[in-house]
Amino acid sequence: MQATETPGFWAIARKPRWLAALALALGVAASFAALGQWQLERSIENQPIDGRFTERVVPLQSVAQPQAPVASAASGQLVSASLEFVSGDYVILTDRLDVDGPVSWIVGHAIVQGPGSAQGSSLAVALGWVENADAAASAIERLEAEPAIGVFDGRYLPSESPQLSDFEEGQRSAIAVAELMNVWANAPDGVYSGYLIASDPPAGLEPIFAPAPSTEITYNLLNIFYAVEWVIFGGFAIFLWWRLVRDELEAQTVE
Amino acid sequence: MPIGPRPADVVRLRRTVAVYKISSYITGTFLLLLCLMMVLRYGFGVDIEFLGAYGVLALTPRDLIDGINLSSVILIVHGWFYVLYLGCDFVLWRLARFSFLQFCFIALGGIVPLLSFYFERTVPRTIEAQIAVLELDVKDATAGPVETVGPVRATA
Repeated sequence: MQATETPGFWAIARKPRWLAALALALGVAASFAALGQWQLERSIENQPIDGRFTERVVPLQSVAQPQAPVASAASGQLVSASLEFVSGDYVILTDRLDVDGPVSWIVGHAIVQGPGSAQGSSLAVALGWVENADAAASAIERLEAEPAIGVFDGRYLPSESPQLSDFEEGQRSAIAVAELMNVWANAPDGVYSGYLIASDPPAGLEPIFAPAPSTEITYNLLNIFYAVEWVIFGGFAIFLWWRLVRDELEAQTVE
Repeated sequence: MPIGPRPADVVRLRRTVAVYKISSYITGTFLLLLCLMMVLRYGFGVDIEFLGAYGVLALTPRDLIDGINLSSVILIVHGWFYVLYLGCDFVLWRLARFSFLQFCFIALGGIVPLLSFYFERTVPRTIEAQIAVLELDVKDATAGPVETVGPVRATA
């Protein structure tokens, strides 16, 4: 029986009708494979892998200029700059979320020192955090007493948006350069549109948690599963064709 | 050309019919829910939210949902029970040996609203009729040598 069946299968499969059916089955399988491909693409959560070295400290002026938007390549970059802080321009930001809960940030107004074209421009620097508003006030007193000057390292980030609710409550929790400019005593001569989070805060302040930009790729397992399922469905279309040819063959053998 | 089931497959066939009936009820019900959910999502721009901020059941725009999105649950549950339904359809097709076209028609039951409820009635009935014919044939075959076979066969 087996001997007569094996050649018989292809004799039936070669008939135009079954070749057309095979083409249909292959078409269905191909479209299912395309659907699987689509699911596979969706399974990779898009995270740009930009391959830049954000963790290598570079001069601020090499990645950003005053009066210019923050380029995506500069966002999150560790930079260093020679700065002198303006006394009287320290600002407290409340309700900043740190690792362990809400804290207060101390934000200073720094003038970029030479050499370079950015000399004299202003930069907002988040120096560090303290537990509450009282501690912030005394920390600012200390900072005023001994003006900070020197080279600061930190992470350069784009400005946040000012919040109307903060204004109404008489306090600030967003670090918005455009708003800070209006708080500073003297109008700055050019300003960076991003701000710096200092890596090493002055004495008495805690360092602000500023992790490196994420470059991880995460996979969505459900979509991967669906992709596998489409492949199985595609295989099933081919299997159905084979089964139908076999049925035809068996029907003829019975007769 | 329907050949009909083999005598050896009758037990498995009946078991599959039982599973098929359950799967067709659930698939049919979720298909109706899916129609409702589609009208709400694409007609009115809202999803059905369960245990969200607006009560136990609420119609909420998709992006604002923080409870369980029942619309998505309906989609997923329907999808899985349709897979079960198709599996039953396939096994029935192999065991009862009806035509491929019939297999395709039954498969539509998970896509065309209310169709699965119709098939849930007709398919088991057709299969039971085929089994009855088969059992009659088996009786004939065993009783055959003693009695005259001709007239009974004609009625079958």
